[in-house]
Amino acid sequence: MEETAQTTMSDNQPARSAPAAAAVAPAVGKPLIEARDVKTYYPIYGGILRRRVGSVYAVDGVSLTINRGQTFGLVGESGCGKTTLGRTILRLEKATAGSVTMDGQDMLAMRGPALKRMRRRMQLIFQDPYGSLNPRMPISDIIGEGLLAQADADNGWRTRTIRDKRVGDYLEAVGLRRDYARRYPHEFSGGQRQRIGIARALALAPDFVVCDEPVSALDVSIQSQILNLLSDLRSEFNLTYLFIAHNLSVVQYFCDRIGVMYLGKLVEVATTDALYEKPLHPYSVALLSAIPVPDPRVRKKRLVLRGDVPSPANPPSGCRFHTRCWLREKLGNPEQCSTIDPPLRDMGGGQMAACHFAEQVTKQAAQEVASTQSVIEAATELPD
Amino acid sequence: MADVDDHQALIVDSPAALEEVLTGHPDYDVQLESLNQWQLSWRRFKRHRMALFGASLFFTMVAVGILGPIVMPFNKNALVPLDQVVNNGRPPMIYPYFHPFGETQQLQYDVFTLVVNGIGLSLLISVGATVISTIIGTIVGSLSGYIGGWLDTILMRIVDALLALPLIYLILIASEFLGSGNWFTVMLIFALLGWLQTSRLVRSVMLSLREADYVDAARVVGVGRMRIIFRHLLPNAMSPIIVVSTLSVAGFIITEAFVSFLGFGVDPSTPTLGNILSGAQEAIGAGNWWWAVFPGLAIVVIVLGINFMGDGLQDALDPRAKV
Repeated sequence: MEETAQTTMSDNQPARSAPAAAAVAPAVGKPLIEARDVKTYYPIYGGILRRRVGSVYAVDGVSLTINRGQTFGLVGESGCGKTTLGRTILRLEKATAGSVTMDGQDMLAMRGPALKRMRRRMQLIFQDPYGSLNPRMPISDIIGEGLLAQADADNGWRTRTIRDKRVGDYLEAVGLRRDYARRYPHEFSGGQRQRIGIARALALAPDFVVCDEPVSALDVSIQSQILNLLSDLRSEFNLTYLFIAHNLSVVQYFCDRIGVMYLGKLVEVATTDALYEKPLHPYSVALLSAIPVPDPRVRKKRLVLRGDVPSPANPPSGCRFHTRCWLREKLGNPEQCSTIDPPLRDMGGGQMAACHFAEQVTKQAAQEVASTQSVIEAATELPD
Repeated sequence: MADVDDHQALIVDSPAALEEVLTGHPDYDVQLESLNQWQLSWRRFKRHRMALFGASLFFTMVAVGILGPIVMPFNKNALVPLDQVVNNGRPPMIYPYFHPFGETQQLQYDVFTLVVNGIGLSLLISVGATVISTIIGTIVGSLSGYIGGWLDTILMRIVDALLALPLIYLILIASEFLGSGNWFTVMLIFALLGWLQTSRLVRSVMLSLREADYVDAARVVGVGRMRIIFRHLLPNAMSPIIVVSTLSVAGFIITEAFVSFLGFGVDPSTPTLGNILSGAQEAIGAGNWWWAVFPGLAIVVIVLGINFMGDGLQDALDPRAKV
């Protein structure tokens, strides 16, 4: 069944001549998405004249490269700008500054028909499977809507029968039955709805898909199903993912490279193995120490960060993490932490970290700090 | 697992096995009933007793309003012959002459004819005004809410300004310039004032709906603004619009009665429910209570029916409600 689905679909994809061959040997290596110094600020209005009094620096100068066929994971606390970055790349939010290119084409400068054509190549999978499907539309219209919007003389998607056939093909590709197309969203479970959302994203045969926490709203048993599906589809359609998540175990399983975000900035970029083996930013260390060990007998000492995330409307000076940094405290509060914003430095092996003292981020140092944290302090900081 | 044997029926002992069987035979599902949201709402509405009661009250009145003027048209020169006025026109008089609601004083009109025609005209005015005001309000509210920005500011300031105008003065001025007493003029004035509330409601609904994920999903595949409004936002905004416009029919009935009672509405010689009440003012003091009570009852029945119906619609159209 899967084979037939794949062949029928490749018929409809003249742009990608040999998806089967590509699936065998994914062309990893060439950059597909390149973001340079992307900034997305939201205005804050205040006063009686409703004038702009400030900005929320949701994404503040992020540069990243995602190679074709690769999965780039984006992790960080809630409110650190992961989702905003993904939406900015997809042109759902207006970037304040910076550039994003796909295959060398500037995406942020595109307007009108060119932008609409470009939209075929980049899609979004949502977190909430309940809010992302219009309750008044049957599944055929939900998945077929993109086809209708992107219909032109070549693909013939304006014709209902051609559209419906393709909708059925993609329903099968995500493991649902063809005839589900006539049903309405309220007739499906959360996992099924998420599959429908994935089918919608893939129906336009995109190159690049932003997965915005695609499994966080699902039951744990369903999560693995959806992750396996996403993984299968990645090789089947040669997709490139930007995978946004806050579940670090999911990211470890799923991603090739990972970017750690804190307050609108990337603080560390590394391959998955390198990051989990030897994180080079104090924040990454703290984040990784929060991964629960699925063994109740293991008593793990967590590295607990003090305080809350500062407001993105008024970020700290210098390194944005310095107000909560355990390493800074250990080193005796060096001045440059609060005055100079550290750039992402190449630490070798493709690992980059934005810390003045990245060389001193070691397991021993972290353990020392963790062991000095009092139990009471850890307990009061726990609820999160 | 599912087993197929020559002599045995298909044994399906787990959901997974059932799914497997069905995948092989997709035709099994063809007869499955799939209801959309409107069909589900209709099902809920049918189970709502008060709503059904209200709807039957309202639609009975609509039927009376449509058929009544055809069966017994009102002619202001055709008075009830004096020999039919018995007991000072006091109801009920069914036989030998059919004047169940009695007759009016001074000019001897049949109250039943007046009420029947009044229901027709009052409903015409209020339903017409509701339709026009809902259309205008929905268009303005959608544009204001979805497109936003300076368009939103301009439209909403216009709405604010119009809301500040008192209804009675506007009707007074309009009847001065547009020719007094035409029911169509009154309807237009009601409509031109009624859309303000609707537009605010639609705007607020649009503001919340445009943040929905499915709107982003449409934007990200390149669906245009107008199609998003018509295919995604309006169908989901329909429930509150329907409820509010239903209730506004009742509001306009009352307003018409009130405005005509004060003498600013439809020409006094035309029977609307308000005009009939207005004519009965002095007669009540003289003991002619039936002139005022029957049109008043008609108003109560219509408004009550609509309010019950609106209540039921609100419950039925809520997509979160269970079937």
